[in-house]
Amino acid sequence: MVKEIERAGIPVVHMCTVVPISLTIGANRIVPAVGIPYPLGNPLLGEEGSFKIRMKLVKKALKALETEVDGQTVFE
Amino acid sequence: MKLELGKIKIKDVQFGDVTKVEGNVLYVNAKEIETLVLEDERLISAKVELAKPGESVRIAPVKDVIEPRVKVSGNGGIFPGVISKVQEVGNGRTHALVGANVITCGKIVGFQEGIIDMSGPAAKYCPFCSTYNVCIVIEPAEGLDTHDYEAAGRLAGLKAAARIGEAGRNITPDEVMSYETKPLQEQIKQYPNLPKVGYIHMLQSQGLLHDTYYYGVDAKVMLPTVMYPTEMMDGAIVSGNCVAPCDKVTTFHHLNNPVVEELYKRHGKDLNFVGVILTNENVFLADKERSSDMVAKLAEYMGLDGVLITEEGYGNPDTDLMMNCKKVSQKGIKVVLITDEFPGRDGKSQSLADAVDEADALVSCGNGNVIINFPPMDRVIGTLDYVETMIGGYEGSLKPDGSIEAELQIIIASTIANGYNCLAARGY
Repeated sequence: MVKEIERAGIPVVHMCTVVPISLTIGANRIVPAVGIPYPLGNPLLGEEGSFKIRMKLVKKALKALETEVDGQTVFE
Repeated sequence: MKLELGKIKIKDVQFGDVTKVEGNVLYVNAKEIETLVLEDERLISAKVELAKPGESVRIAPVKDVIEPRVKVSGNGGIFPGVISKVQEVGNGRTHALVGANVITCGKIVGFQEGIIDMSGPAAKYCPFCSTYNVCIVIEPAEGLDTHDYEAAGRLAGLKAAARIGEAGRNITPDEVMSYETKPLQEQIKQYPNLPKVGYIHMLQSQGLLHDTYYYGVDAKVMLPTVMYPTEMMDGAIVSGNCVAPCDKVTTFHHLNNPVVEELYKRHGKDLNFVGVILTNENVFLADKERSSDMVAKLAEYMGLDGVLITEEGYGNPDTDLMMNCKKVSQKGIKVVLITDEFPGRDGKSQSLADAVDEADALVSCGNGNVIINFPPMDRVIGTLDYVETMIGGYEGSLKPDGSIEAELQIIIASTIANGYNCLAARGY
């Protein structure tokens, strides 16, 4: 999906938990997420804690979307 | 560490008043096994049914397959840390009822349990169509949490297999195999001119019903470690997972690991099998990095020249597989991967979720996405209620006459990524 949307000319940020797979499939802007069972939160931290994680990751992803990249880039 | 494995060849299974082996026939006291299983109050019903090769029988949803074994001499007991007390195993003598299996089935736990046909065209994809199976159909207490149901089902199978295995304690085996691996330095000295080969055994440990246990330790909280191969033959590793049926490493496969078996066959001939590195497949990237770092470090520390690596499951574990491959290769050690493939029903997609340049030698155990047809069977052990939600099934899979159309991956062990299956490729 990442590749097809980019092929249509729209930049994509892939927020993913297993960065090597994202690199293998060819995503250009990669934001590492939390983990496979809960990519954008953490149930151990409750709703409030998860919201903070989500806000931080989404802001990072938006920043990545605005950033010019020269090849595959992981935004740590 | 040296283990003598006495193989008692089972050629039939029947119900009897006493659970025993007589003249290569296993007799099972169904009441005894049902009572044993129902000691666990999480289960409200247990029914023993027998399934023999060639019968018109379908078993589903299958949770685990377990070969009955008993520890005759040496430390510890079968399934240490789970059924027997925690104590090192792998030494002494063990008897196995080869050709008999305990199969747990019944109402689905998650969605990743499978099917075994005892005859017909789908049977040939599963090694357990040719064994004499003691099936235990379990039913959970109402409202039982899924994880508790999984644990209860897992323990039911292991307890029953250990109890049935006792029947082999005083029987003279038909064949006795001997397996020995010495402490590392002695083992290297024994065959100094042969290449030192190790086996990297990746255990499913994703959590959420995808777990494996080593001496009772949940593999996801374990760091990679080194083990003697014979520990496996006494049940040091047990399956507790609902991973896709086709490449689920059942407890049977841990007891009868084909990679270990093949490496021992060549031990002292053209290679020196020095040991096993046990590792996991966790769901956080940091865990994957840490475990694969440690695997590579242990492989280097052991002075290995080459390794075989197997994985369990597919998708994100392919990343663990590739990280292990890359990092071990970078230590100057030759790597061969053993896995299965999921290229989609048309075969056109990438077969594994991840790949690295170092993965240049790979043995494939088959394509799990191929669609096959299962004719109706006269008898179902368990239930077909969940076929369409099981991995490999889909809406419309189950036909009104009881026949099934589904992907090959719905069959237990059909493409198992260690080679204990029936598929082979032929070149033209």
